Amino acid sequence: MGLFSYYEEDSFLHRLNPSIKLLVIFLAVIILTLAPDPYTPGLFLLLTLLALWVVGRVPMRVILRSTWPLVLLTIPFFIFNTLYFDLGKVVQPHIWFHLGPWTVARESAIVGLALSLRILAFIACSLFFVTTTSPTDFALSLIQQAHVPYRFGYAILVAYRFIPLWTEELATIQAAHKVRGVGEHSGWRGMLQQFRRYAIPLLANAIRKSERVAIAMDSKAFGVTSQRTYYRELHICRRDYVFLAITLLTLLAIFYFLGNY
Amino acid sequence: MSLPIIEVSGLSVRYPLRRRPALQDLSFSVAQHETLLILGPSGCGKSTLALTLNGLIPHDIEAEVQGTINVAGVNVAAASVETLTRQVGVVFQDAEAQFCTLRVADEVAFGLENLGVPRSEMDGRIQQALRQVGLAEMAQRSLRRLSGGEKQRLALAAILAMKPAIIILDEPTANLDPAATAAFFRLIAPLRTEHTILIVEHKLDECIHLVDHVLVLTPEGALLAEGAPRAIFQREEAKLQEYGIWIPQVTEWALAMQRAGHPVDPLPLTLPEAAETVQQLRIPVQLPAHTSHQSVTAAVPLAVRIDGLRFTYPKADQPALHDVQLTVPEGSLFALLGPNGSGKSTLASHLIAIHPTVPGKVFVFGQDVSAQAGMTLARLTELVGYVFQNPEHQFVADTVYDELAYSLAVRKEPEEQIARRVSALLFDFHLETLSKANPFTLSQGQKRRLSVATMLAVGQKLLVLDEPTFGQDRRTTERMVARWRQLQQQGVTILFITHDMRLVLAVADAVAVLAAGRVIFHGVPAQLYEREDILQAAHLLPPPLYRLAKMTHPEPLTLIADATRGM
Repeated sequence: MGLFSYYEEDSFLHRLNPSIKLLVIFLAVIILTLAPDPYTPGLFLLLTLLALWVVGRVPMRVILRSTWPLVLLTIPFFIFNTLYFDLGKVVQPHIWFHLGPWTVARESAIVGLALSLRILAFIACSLFFVTTTSPTDFALSLIQQAHVPYRFGYAILVAYRFIPLWTEELATIQAAHKVRGVGEHSGWRGMLQQFRRYAIPLLANAIRKSERVAIAMDSKAFGVTSQRTYYRELHICRRDYVFLAITLLTLLAIFYFLGNY
Repeated sequence: MSLPIIEVSGLSVRYPLRRRPALQDLSFSVAQHETLLILGPSGCGKSTLALTLNGLIPHDIEAEVQGTINVAGVNVAAASVETLTRQVGVVFQDAEAQFCTLRVADEVAFGLENLGVPRSEMDGRIQQALRQVGLAEMAQRSLRRLSGGEKQRLALAAILAMKPAIIILDEPTANLDPAATAAFFRLIAPLRTEHTILIVEHKLDECIHLVDHVLVLTPEGALLAEGAPRAIFQREEAKLQEYGIWIPQVTEWALAMQRAGHPVDPLPLTLPEAAETVQQLRIPVQLPAHTSHQSVTAAVPLAVRIDGLRFTYPKADQPALHDVQLTVPEGSLFALLGPNGSGKSTLASHLIAIHPTVPGKVFVFGQDVSAQAGMTLARLTELVGYVFQNPEHQFVADTVYDELAYSLAVRKEPEEQIARRVSALLFDFHLETLSKANPFTLSQGQKRRLSVATMLAVGQKLLVLDEPTFGQDRRTTERMVARWRQLQQQGVTILFITHDMRLVLAVADAVAVLAAGRVIFHGVPAQLYEREDILQAAHLLPPPLYRLAKMTHPEPLTLIADATRGM
């Protein structure tokens, strides 16, 4: 599997309840959005990746492989925000240098950095969730803790199962069209036509497969009783509360001590 | 006879918006612990029957149902889906599309969860079901890492755990290689004492020994005949042939012996029975084999020469192909065999440069296919036609006509020449009436014919086919083989990937066997059948008739060429 996929391991982070992880991420995102400084997201980012590496036992190369393309993407974001920051709001800007029509000051660089680090922190949160949460646990926890209807939970699982199959099928279709002598298309009309050519066989097969899955599931009594039982039951236990408390306290502490710096 | 567990009377099923019913006035009954085989041509409603028996039709899938069905003492029309799914379990053909979890144990648990089985009972039932199918060691394995055969065994375990009285197997081995097919049916044998089993299957050689009773449906979904297998094959041979329904190969042989005036009684269905027949008749088995006496290494012009090809997929640890050497003589029908994942498709796709190749490795009609050696894709696609397993993947136009004209049009051929070529192809492939149809609306057989025709449009002399008989019934397969012979006479070389040993016995001039990316055999079919070690490594079994000849003749066989009854 490619970037941003589940990394199988049996660590403290992997054993956490997925719904709790989602809740913690949700609260962390709120705090990060409210923090205007670069230190809170920066330190939070470092700590998240460190926790993923040390506590979650996700190898550094897996972490870097997934994050570095996104780090590169935030560089133009940083530059843009720095250049276009409205210095009129600052009373006495510490101007560094002028670049054509733009003025680069310490204050604008800090705002650009804060915004970029905030985005990277969000990315780290999703990486943390995706690499340490098995899709099965995620679906089960949505059903059992978040009380999402179980049909919806299973829809997620089936969709997840099919993603790699679609990727393989797309590669086959591309090869098959190449054999037909269909060249690469340029221009938006060509792209659109190519998209249509790929989409029709993919969709035809997707519809067929999903019908079959639905029939197979219904044949195994899916949805016939109101008292569905679960082979694997997920619970919220002490480690989940500990994780919730530690993460939020750390984040608030960083914000409190460094946020107004 | 014990009491019937399934009683069907006057059953007709019609889907909404269809004029013709899928099933018409069916009446039959199945005794408890009996094994019933349901035969019929493609599209005769076998799968509809399966879904009607477990109540999905009409409780879940909309259809108009007439007549009555009683299953295990309950009336299907009145019973809830819950009651019915407790009684009837179905194993489907498409392994990928019958699972909804990611791990083996979870998949078996799924049905139990739906039925509300207490959690404390689950582990025991899951373990037992997995033991029954030989997957006990794999409970925690990810489904992605299972082979095709393991997936179907898992599908069976998921049903067994639910303990249904009736198990329906809806073409469960269609995607499996010969060894996996045999392994699957070995699991079914001991289940017959506890369950009533309904089998829908094309490959009768592998399962006929399990069958007590046969039901034959007509193409219109009506009942043609029912009875004991021996009586059905004896009485209905002509009809079965007309409908394109396979019968066991040894039975076919015995019927041919009868026609030749030999007294064959009882009609054999299985290999051991046929061996007895041979003993009684004292006539050696003549293999209806197409045999070529040409040696594959003889100095004939070569359509394909592969010389030390290695290939590793990006990001893979293991090479997919190791130093492959292969020659395909011009004008031959060449079979490429091997278990799933052995590199057959990877090897074949090098002939059309789907993967980049270094110069000096792959030659088609003496020309290096490598782009570095100056070969263009346009030139290569004039030499080689490549037919993918799923015809839909290759369709690029909105009508059959445009589909056939496509390769000619991209080559900017003059309009009238395109028209002439397309009408010739439409005629040759029996698609004349469909020239304005959308390719996606064709039947499976028509789609396949169209995909082959598109690959011959610019006069390709090498045709590569990936599993051409997959999902085809006997009639379409026979027609396809006849077309191959025509093409062969026109000088086309055909290389096909297959698991179908009957097809190999019937048509192949030469074969190569791949296992784990290496060519482990390269020669004529008759030599291959002598090599137990190779067959085992490649998950293959010789065709039944060949095994029969072997059982009754200990010495090496000389095959007798007889192309008249090719299949």
